[in-house]
Amino acid sequence: MTDKHGDCYIALRRRYWPQWVSEMIESLHYTQCKFYLALKSSTLHMINNVNDLLIADSLSRRLSVDAGVYDISIKLQRGDILGLLGLNGAGKSTTLRLLTGTLVPDSGDVIISGHSMRDAPLQARQKIGYLPDQPPLYNDMRVASYLAFCAKLRRVSKATLQSNIETVLDECDLQSVRRARIGQLSKGFRQRVGLAQALVHKPDVLLLDEPSNGLDPNQMQGMRNIIAHAGEKQAVIFSTHLLNEAQAVCNRIAVVHKGRLIHEARVTGNNSQLEDLFSGLTHDQPTAATA
Amino acid sequence: MIGAIAGFESRALLRSAQTWVIAAVLAIVFAYLFLQALETYLEAQPQLALQDHPTGLSGFLAARYLAPLVMVFALIAPLLAMRSFSDEYRQHTLALWQSSPVSMTGLVVGKFLGVAAVILLLVAIAGLIPAFMRFYTALDFGVLATSVLGLALASLMFTAIGLFFSSITKHAIIAVAASVVLLALLWLPGSASAGNSVLMNVLAAFAIPTHLAGFFQGYISTASIAYFVIVTVLFICLTIIRLDALRHAA
Repeated sequence: MTDKHGDCYIALRRRYWPQWVSEMIESLHYTQCKFYLALKSSTLHMINNVNDLLIADSLSRRLSVDAGVYDISIKLQRGDILGLLGLNGAGKSTTLRLLTGTLVPDSGDVIISGHSMRDAPLQARQKIGYLPDQPPLYNDMRVASYLAFCAKLRRVSKATLQSNIETVLDECDLQSVRRARIGQLSKGFRQRVGLAQALVHKPDVLLLDEPSNGLDPNQMQGMRNIIAHAGEKQAVIFSTHLLNEAQAVCNRIAVVHKGRLIHEARVTGNNSQLEDLFSGLTHDQPTAATA
Repeated sequence: MIGAIAGFESRALLRSAQTWVIAAVLAIVFAYLFLQALETYLEAQPQLALQDHPTGLSGFLAARYLAPLVMVFALIAPLLAMRSFSDEYRQHTLALWQSSPVSMTGLVVGKFLGVAAVILLLVAIAGLIPAFMRFYTALDFGVLATSVLGLALASLMFTAIGLFFSSITKHAIIAVAASVVLLALLWLPGSASAGNSVLMNVLAAFAIPTHLAGFFQGYISTASIAYFVIVTVLFICLTIIRLDALRHAA
């Protein structure tokens, strides 16, 4: 909000100045802060519709000479399930990492439920549920205690902690393994525990990186049902490289190719244009990164 | 939040078999060093009695039992801290912390406190053993207390160094090796008995033994306390910077 070096300089010099000069500077500083906040909130108000749970504004991040994501803009409201579709290495994971704040963009900003990831990262992250491509699981923990820890980490109050855990155990069909050690679970269960940790604090925005990767058809269907259910109350983005999977779950699809968002549309009965576009994509120039 | 992270870290350490193996080995080392020191004291007692100001049992135990334990903790602390972040890298769990409403400062301080709690428990056990001699003879608890304080401060510093190296690599053993090498570098200038060269004097000012010696003789120097606190805070800050840099790294 203010220039740290300027503050430091003022603090160093303050002791040598007369009282009235210090007071004047304090006053100016205060006015400047108020002006900044007023400007900031009015700007946010202009771009942030009340229903927008996620706004990604021109996100760019260069990872190497020929890899990165560029100028990604996305807007999501409650009930939106956006499929981030792209070939392997198109920049889907990088985009999700930028949206979750685990990677800092070179330019652009992400606003989650009105909180800017740049200015108020902790508040913004509190509204996010994130399942990376490899679920962040502690193998020596039991399922229920792991979920309790994740809920505490996301500042779920003690009063609602237990009910949140029970809800998410039911939603993800994990009641039968609630006392099992995570390290002993099968791939499908581990993926569901990963999804449960992303849901346990009832986030506004759910970000899933290839959640059905490596699952068998039954497990895949189960995962789709959970995502569809979550999408009724939240905004969901999930990345995939399978067009039919995106069509089965999503009401919106965005195609990422070579680090750029090249197409975005609502899912309708006739998606021939999207199918043509996606089948035409090639790996000819590997540009974007898989983070 | 820091308390929750510290609790998580302590519980993770206590769940690990490696911690209990270390604790068992430590129990043997404590017992061996203590009995050795006691035996030496009993053998040396007739000669000590002839001195004008003979060293008491407390002073003897501080010098022969608690002081060597610093070296032991210089190895144990990095061993306990080595998995703090390197395990997060290996298990791909860092994303959980990075996407949660937890600041990197909170995460590092929480993890440090979690490991420190276990280390301090071991230091307390080491300090309690000589206290049991109270049932057989009078003890100077002042000397024992300052010695335990010195041991605790040094162990916290070793923990912070171990934590930092753990944040640099996903290979826990490399983290331990790097910590031990750094500690050896900080140790050697203080143990070298090279005369009055300016360089040696400057290096000795930053050496661990220089700042530890007083604690085991029963006095507390604020400069020495400041040394341990500053180095501990420095390595905690370096760990925070390192983890923050990961958000900017590809």
